Amino acid sequence: MAANPMHQFQVYRLGPEIKLGNVDLSFTNASLFMLLSALSICLFLYFGSKQKKIVPGRLQLVTELFYNFIAKMISDTAGSKAKPYFPFIFTLFMFVLLCNMIGMLPYSFTVTSHIIVTLVMALFIFIAVTIIGFLKHGFKYLSIFVPKGVPVVLLPLITIIEIISYLSRPVSLSVRLFANMMAGHTMLKVFGSFVISLGLLGGWLPLSFSVALTGLEILVAFLQAYVFAILTCIYLNDALNLHH
Amino acid sequence: MWLKVPLIIFIFWFETLLFAAEAGMPQLDSKYWFSQSFWLILIFLALYLSLSKFFIPKIKNNLDDREKKIKDNLDEAKELSELADKKNLDYEKEISNAKKEVIKIITDSKKQLDKNIAQKKEKFEKELEKEIKKAEQEVIDLKKMSGQSINSIAEEISSKIIENITGDKLNDSSIKAAVNEVSKNKIGKYL
Repeated sequence: MAANPMHQFQVYRLGPEIKLGNVDLSFTNASLFMLLSALSICLFLYFGSKQKKIVPGRLQLVTELFYNFIAKMISDTAGSKAKPYFPFIFTLFMFVLLCNMIGMLPYSFTVTSHIIVTLVMALFIFIAVTIIGFLKHGFKYLSIFVPKGVPVVLLPLITIIEIISYLSRPVSLSVRLFANMMAGHTMLKVFGSFVISLGLLGGWLPLSFSVALTGLEILVAFLQAYVFAILTCIYLNDALNLHH
Repeated sequence: MWLKVPLIIFIFWFETLLFAAEAGMPQLDSKYWFSQSFWLILIFLALYLSLSKFFIPKIKNNLDDREKKIKDNLDEAKELSELADKKNLDYEKEISNAKKEVIKIITDSKKQLDKNIAQKKEKFEKELEKEIKKAEQEVIDLKKMSGQSINSIAEEISSKIIENITGDKLNDSSIKAAVNEVSKNKIGKYL
């Protein structure tokens, strides 16, 4: 069971089977860890904003740090027009971050290591950004595919490349997060099993690697959540402030 | 040697990973895709609503309150500092006023004093002059009177001396005439 490094990504049903027509909507371990992440965020924010202190305590300070971090990121990348989307990006960042972080706990399940999860999020962002772009600019939004200052000869080629790059946004966004999470966790698992198989004599080297990798993976967990959020901001910026 | 070990481990791991992927990534098993999407959307929506309606406004309120409080405090400090400056100015003005007043009082009283002294001096001098004049008058009167009284005393003494020497009494008029004659010659010497 533990020998297969991919086993940790197995999804299995918890509780009764829920079927909507032909579609299986059962509560799985993935759903459980999504729920745990969401509840942790609520708990964290609840205790972080409970006391209205002028000089904040530790938890309040961290909460406000996150708030200001996201607010600054949005205003830096997408400008003041993106302010109404702050709650969504804040939720997105916190959710991805907590899913990644909870996945770092041993025996837990990493929600974001599944392509379907990241793809649903990325597709939602892609479709929402496209709709926002067309709502704000009408058909002028299509000019995003025609960059300014390009020689006329190159224009058809550049436009095709721009369209492909635009359409590949959800893929790159989702695969980046999914692949990072999966690779990291697989690697941790592999090194973990090496510790066992090499035993007391040779197990120290993979163990030290494991420790180092855990630190790296925590960094990656934060970084990928940040990248996911900042790319969302950049896409939103394209839709809100059409300047190409 | 030590560099080779991690390399071998890495190659071994990579092969297992590839092999495992070939054997089947659970991620590509579509059995629970709908379930995962469904729960993701449900949970994310619930999280989004609770954050945007409840937690984010609360945190924002906290931050705004702090900013407002800091701003208010700064404003108050500025106001108080301005007030202190004004008070200080008033204080300095009052001090300079008081100094001016003191100088005025000093000069006034000095003037008054000088005036008083001058008045008193004048009065005293006048009185002194009067006294001097009176005394001079008295001296003159005394001179006049003393001329006569000296004559009568001289007459008396002369008649008594003559009486004692001669034993006869001379008549007054002759003595008077003699004294008068002598005193006329000599009185300027003594008076």
